[in-house]
Amino acid sequence: MNYVQLEKLGEGTYATVYKGRSRTTNEIVALKEIHLDAEEGTPSTAIREISLMKELKHVNIVRLYDVIHTETKLVLIFEYCERDLKKYMDAHGDRGALDPVTVRSFMYQLLKGTAFCHENRVLHRDLKPQNLLINRKGELKLGDFGLARAFGVPVNTFSNEVVTLWYRAPDVLLGSRTYSTSIDVWSCGCIFAEMISGVPLFRGRDNQDQLLHIMRIIGTPDDRLLRRIATEAAPPSADGQQAPPAPKQYPRYPKIPFQQVLPKASPQALDLLERLLQFDPSKRISAADALNHPYFTSTAMAFPVPPPGAMAPPNYNFPHPHAHHQQQLSQQQQQQAHAQAQAHAAYLAQQQGMQQGVYPNQATQAQAHAQAQAQAQAQAAQAQAQAQAMGHFIPYQGSVPNVPQYAAGGR
Amino acid sequence: MSVSLYPLATLAQIEKTPSREDGIPQNLEEDLRAYGCKLISQAGILLKQKQVAVATAQILFQRFWYVTSMKQFGIGDVGMGALYLASKLEECPLRMRDLINVYDLLLQRAAHTLSSSQHDFKYAPMSYFGNTFYDLKDALVVAEMQILKRLGFHVNVVLPYGTLVNYLRVLGLTNRSEVCTRAWGYLNDALQSPVYALYPVPTIVSAAILLTTRHYGIALPSDPENCWWELFDAEWEDVWSVCGYIMRLYRQKDPMEQMQLLTMINKKGVRQWLEENHSNSDVR
Repeated sequence: MNYVQLEKLGEGTYATVYKGRSRTTNEIVALKEIHLDAEEGTPSTAIREISLMKELKHVNIVRLYDVIHTETKLVLIFEYCERDLKKYMDAHGDRGALDPVTVRSFMYQLLKGTAFCHENRVLHRDLKPQNLLINRKGELKLGDFGLARAFGVPVNTFSNEVVTLWYRAPDVLLGSRTYSTSIDVWSCGCIFAEMISGVPLFRGRDNQDQLLHIMRIIGTPDDRLLRRIATEAAPPSADGQQAPPAPKQYPRYPKIPFQQVLPKASPQALDLLERLLQFDPSKRISAADALNHPYFTSTAMAFPVPPPGAMAPPNYNFPHPHAHHQQQLSQQQQQQAHAQAQAHAAYLAQQQGMQQGVYPNQATQAQAHAQAQAQAQAQAAQAQAQAQAMGHFIPYQGSVPNVPQYAAGGR
Repeated sequence: MSVSLYPLATLAQIEKTPSREDGIPQNLEEDLRAYGCKLISQAGILLKQKQVAVATAQILFQRFWYVTSMKQFGIGDVGMGALYLASKLEECPLRMRDLINVYDLLLQRAAHTLSSSQHDFKYAPMSYFGNTFYDLKDALVVAEMQILKRLGFHVNVVLPYGTLVNYLRVLGLTNRSEVCTRAWGYLNDALQSPVYALYPVPTIVSAAILLTTRHYGIALPSDPENCWWELFDAEWEDVWSVCGYIMRLYRQKDPMEQMQLLTMINKKGVRQWLEENHSNSDVR
């Protein structure tokens, strides 16, 4: 093997993760070892993870470098990240709560990674702090795509058993199998609140209890919405496996303003949270739109700068629209400080770029490609007839016959 | 490449498949592919599996033969592996033992047909801990892994049904149920041909619509200036070629040919055939 196995980092239900070092580049990586079980063949989590992650190349998604396939095991080689968000909050937060600058940076990166998945027609379906990895540079990356799946023209209903309970969207709790990208957006909202307060927002014991926890805060929705979700959840299934559940009655909880739940949060943060945590999936904001929310785009820093000596905020430089600078003449001082920070960030980014060589370029290319595609798809959907105009005629060159990275024979 | 694109075979792969490289004639390979797909479909029906999983399995099966020769892996084993894998991908996993029992039944039935015995076919269930089970299970696990490995985990499959519904709507044909049913049927039958590994979905759907409208004598705009298939970004030559692949499935096979296929479900049969036929040509 091209990698030296170092200490064990963790153990999951179907895999063990080790730290590793590349023999050729000395780069530190994470090795995820999956034992091939003769009882069920290759685990479906591994199949999903590999088939989806090898295509998703983005700064905010853990990079899958390589796969080694032997008789008895599969080893996935991932980009190494120091820790997950849960551990980060425990270590750096004030009783788990992160400072506003860090929250904003992480939230931006979380939504950026999620939006990228959605543009590429992948649902993550298991977003939670334990699956978000943070590296030393303060970059947040989506990991563990073991439950993810591709979505396209809907021909199939999806599994209802997805997402860890506390981060599961109410429509899924009500039995939806036709959910889409909004399921990940809900999880993002839960994580947002958790970063602000330090504790998970909805901590249910089971499916029903979880729903009640949600309703106790965001209020019981009206019957019409509940009925609509319930009928979508239980269409007359052809296989007759599932009997339609009896319409349930829920206690009428009033909505509690998020201001009361999270007194520390800024008004803009609360407004974004409100849009992420909509009971009705069709009303939930998209990850891409959330990135343009004033919480991220306004340059007026509603947050106090952390006192000297406090933990330095991650130096991830998220872009600020320049237009806003000119509008904020009254806040010249702040603006100056901000410009300095930006210059510094740009410098850091440049340095990183030099170290990494071609990586940033690749990432932007991949992104541009994905965007072009997403656009094409949107157009196609509109025109219906011209569906899927792009891409199909690109001959599929070489990937099947050569299978360069994935052929085990090479190792 | 983005995940929403699905892989198609390259020109080089189409011109010379690994099986043909090993001396299996093109017609025979296509018949074996079709037979393997038929087994997948029969197993799917017996297992009451969802059509999305069965269709996905057939497409993966077809792709597999562009990277692997039938001399190395049998169509029975690979079909079983493809159905098992596709069921995982489509979130309706099968129990290994159920799948093995069903394939055992199909293989026994094929063997019975070959033996040309006078008795009616009677299925003899395998013993719970018998060698048959463990042999089939090993073959299943290996086949699944080989499909993943040789396809480089490119297991994303796009099914044509949604596209068909859209196109029929655009053409204003949805109110004629016999048209919809027939076109849908062509799409399903086409799963037994390699077209899903060769052409993009819009082309295949256009071919199904072309065959259907010709069958019912329905006129659609087909003048060089505005041809209906161009609306769907399909080329006439490609559509025509897909029609050819589909119609070839319906040709009458002579009984000897049919029997020949039954002997070649596993690689042993294929190797034996190769030995016999190639030694013959040496003698000549």
